[in-house]
Amino acid sequence: MRIIRIIAQIGILYFFYYVGVFLVDLTHLPLPASIVGLLLLVGCLQMKWIKIEYIRDGAGLLLGSMTLFFIPAMLGIIDYPELLSINGLILIVSVIVSTLMTIYFAGIISQKIEQKELKMKEKKEGKEGKIIESSHLHH
Amino acid sequence: MKAVIYIISTVVLFILMSKLHKKYSYSFLLPIVTTTIVLIIALLLLNIPYDDYMEGGKWLQHLLGPAVVGLAYPLYNQRKLIMKYKYTIILGIFVAMLSGLVTIFAMLKIFKIKDSFILTALPKSITTPVAMQVSETISGIPSLTAVLVMIAGFVGALFGPLVFKVGKIKSPISRGISMGSASHGVGISKLKDFGEKDLSIGSLSMGVSAVMGAILCPLFVYLFF
Repeated sequence: MRIIRIIAQIGILYFFYYVGVFLVDLTHLPLPASIVGLLLLVGCLQMKWIKIEYIRDGAGLLLGSMTLFFIPAMLGIIDYPELLSINGLILIVSVIVSTLMTIYFAGIISQKIEQKELKMKEKKEGKEGKIIESSHLHH
Repeated sequence: MKAVIYIISTVVLFILMSKLHKKYSYSFLLPIVTTTIVLIIALLLLNIPYDDYMEGGKWLQHLLGPAVVGLAYPLYNQRKLIMKYKYTIILGIFVAMLSGLVTIFAMLKIFKIKDSFILTALPKSITTPVAMQVSETISGIPSLTAVLVMIAGFVGALFGPLVFKVGKIKSPISRGISMGSASHGVGISKLKDFGEKDLSIGSLSMGVSAVMGAILCPLFVYLFF
């Protein structure tokens, strides 16, 4: 029974994927079809058109073994021996440096934004607190 | 017939390697790394062309589409956490995606690397399955992109904690955001050492940055190529 349920749920995910493929073909949007499908599915979940239970087990199974699905594509590097050249080395070093800089900038800036957001919330809560207080006084 | 053998041997090897990683949890033993290396060696030794292997491999790869759609499940489940820190998460990830794109683009341009390699490197901060599909969308080389994504992940896992120290990045939210949107799954596995909150913000940021990156990458390419 569980197997049939999982297969049916994967069918639902496939359906959204193919709707994504259809929309990308139709509109020539430069977006991966799977991301379009994902956004549509999140929208349907949000609107309560689809219950989360309808996809939970299927999504769980696919996400749990997702690594397996991109191994065949990774093997494709055997057709690109260029990676073992000077240009390949520059490519790899640039990825390393860029990743370190990204972690640094994103960390520092999001920490600043977080402090601002916390302050904003405190102010808001402070105000709401006062309003409640003053309405208490009136009654 | 050959195709079936390729599929079965990939799946069996992957299961074995996953067991190995469970037993000794070093990050260089991640099943994606070990399975790929063993299979590459096997293909080279047995003189099997990649196109031949893909007769079977394409069936596994085909499941990536619905699997990425399935990311809707964790994203929807975490919506309360997103709403709680919405400005920090949305803006923080936006900054991360932008600095990832600009820095890699600038460096590769300075070294006069050819465009097809630049397009291949742009999606490197995004989680592998989405990065490969973005790479395809912007005419990069998806399999090379996957390798660069793994490198970005390992850099985060190995040196992320040092960057946090240097930048005095102390809040769990900003640690989660920066690791999740620069080094995806491999990077956030390191956040376990920091705490539960780091980890959940990290995995949430990985999902949000995948969606945001899938939109920003093609836009960036449209503007600069």
